[in-house]
Amino acid sequence: MRQTRLTALLAVLLLALASVAAVGCGGGSDTTGTSGGGGVAEGGGGGEPLTVGSDIPYPPFEQGKPGEYTGFDVELMEAIGEKIGRTPEFQDTSFETIFRDVGQGKFDAAMSAATITEEREKAVDFSNPYYLSEQAVLVKEGSPIKSLKELEGKTVAAQQGTTGLELAKEELGGSEIRPYPEGPDAINALKAGTVEGVVIDAPVAQHAVEEGGGIEIVEKVATEEDYGIAVAQGETELLEEINKGLEEVEQDGTYAKIFEKWFHAPPPKAVFSATHEAE
Amino acid sequence: MSEFFNQYFDFHVMGEHFWEVLEAFLQNLVIFAVAAALALIWGLALALLRQLPGKKLLPIRFITVAYIDLFRAIPILIIILLISGGVPFLSFIPQSIRIPHWFGKPDPFWYGVAALVIVYGAFTAEVYRAGIEAVPGGQMEAARSLGMSHWQAMRHVIVPQALTLIPAPMLNEMISLLKDTTLISVIAFSEAVLVSREVLSERLNSSAMILTAFFFVVIILPLARVVDRLIARNQGKIARGSHIEVA
Repeated sequence: MRQTRLTALLAVLLLALASVAAVGCGGGSDTTGTSGGGGVAEGGGGGEPLTVGSDIPYPPFEQGKPGEYTGFDVELMEAIGEKIGRTPEFQDTSFETIFRDVGQGKFDAAMSAATITEEREKAVDFSNPYYLSEQAVLVKEGSPIKSLKELEGKTVAAQQGTTGLELAKEELGGSEIRPYPEGPDAINALKAGTVEGVVIDAPVAQHAVEEGGGIEIVEKVATEEDYGIAVAQGETELLEEINKGLEEVEQDGTYAKIFEKWFHAPPPKAVFSATHEAE
Repeated sequence: MSEFFNQYFDFHVMGEHFWEVLEAFLQNLVIFAVAAALALIWGLALALLRQLPGKKLLPIRFITVAYIDLFRAIPILIIILLISGGVPFLSFIPQSIRIPHWFGKPDPFWYGVAALVIVYGAFTAEVYRAGIEAVPGGQMEAARSLGMSHWQAMRHVIVPQALTLIPAPMLNEMISLLKDTTLISVIAFSEAVLVSREVLSERLNSSAMILTAFFFVVIILPLARVVDRLIARNQGKIARGSHIEVA
């Protein structure tokens, strides 16, 4: 009895190990994956689908239900897709693994209000910047806290894996910093009163304030961060296509239209000339 | 294949984050200690309430059974999210209870402990019940006929015998509870899984997660072995036809 149980257990373990090895050695390029919320075509220019990983929701950049995703990133990517003859398929995924996943071919690209950083460039290549951003500090309306520094020693929330979390850790050595899996979770914690401040991308903060809930921005920290579209390292052709598509979209006024729609303001001129050299 | 080992077994990453992950794992143990102690007491209370005799106390038994059924069914993750997402907004509860910072532990800690106690109270109550009902009925009859009240009989005769029957299944529940302390990561409490995920997003490498798994295995495997031996010993005694006891 014991002998057969042991053999069975060993057989299962060997099978598991073998299948893991097969996956590991087989490259792992899986552009037709059924990951996240399902890949659904979101309009675009016909032609080959372009799987785009994104941490949804993160309004106003990406939000909505599978099949009906919308937001600045989504619409901009659709416009770029039309220019380069690809149909973007947005797939929901976790932000903290998104760069590793693109680097390993789980998606063709990642577009998730993601800041171009040196760390991330170790796994991916970024397009030219498509949005110039900064961080913002959110507090509850009427709170005595009026700046980032005043959050020293207080409880602060941010999203896991973001530049906002990094900024909070850098500037607030004595504070309890809570990393939430999703951006909206951090904002909800502020509304609930369990944290006293949130450090998050300024446009997301602005959008959250507009939605109501009794929160306000007390400081914007000019971190001069640029959002870029990420592709796997070495995908130079795809990167060039995306950059070209982005340029065309910027030049024919489509970019300005999409920007106005989501941010209620004309885009800053600087974004049109912003370039980035993939390392 | 080497990619597999780099992603999951990068010993440099494990080494660089070893103390960070270990410190966070200690938090899991603290959550476990507090939640286990409270759940064991709460579960016993529930089990005893369930046993209250007589028609007049039927409502109490009914509510207790309903509680146990309900909280064995609802996933703990939902309970954690309901508590942390809703309780802070209940303004009729004073702030010091609504957003607790007791004994230096922040509110996610206490929301997590509350959720674990609510649910594991139900599971442990069932283990206690099995133990109580396994005590031969003659014991209660004999105790009552000696003039003991229901409560005295439970306290001096039934429950002590029941407690000798429950270590194996109770230990299983405790193992389950220890693993479920990781669920508190979703409300941003810095326990081992959360810290491993931070390392993952920083280093683009999952080795810290394997390290966390390793810590859990080191603690739980010996306990699981103890359970196996207790069960084997009891089964041996059943086979020989003797009463089940734990020396």
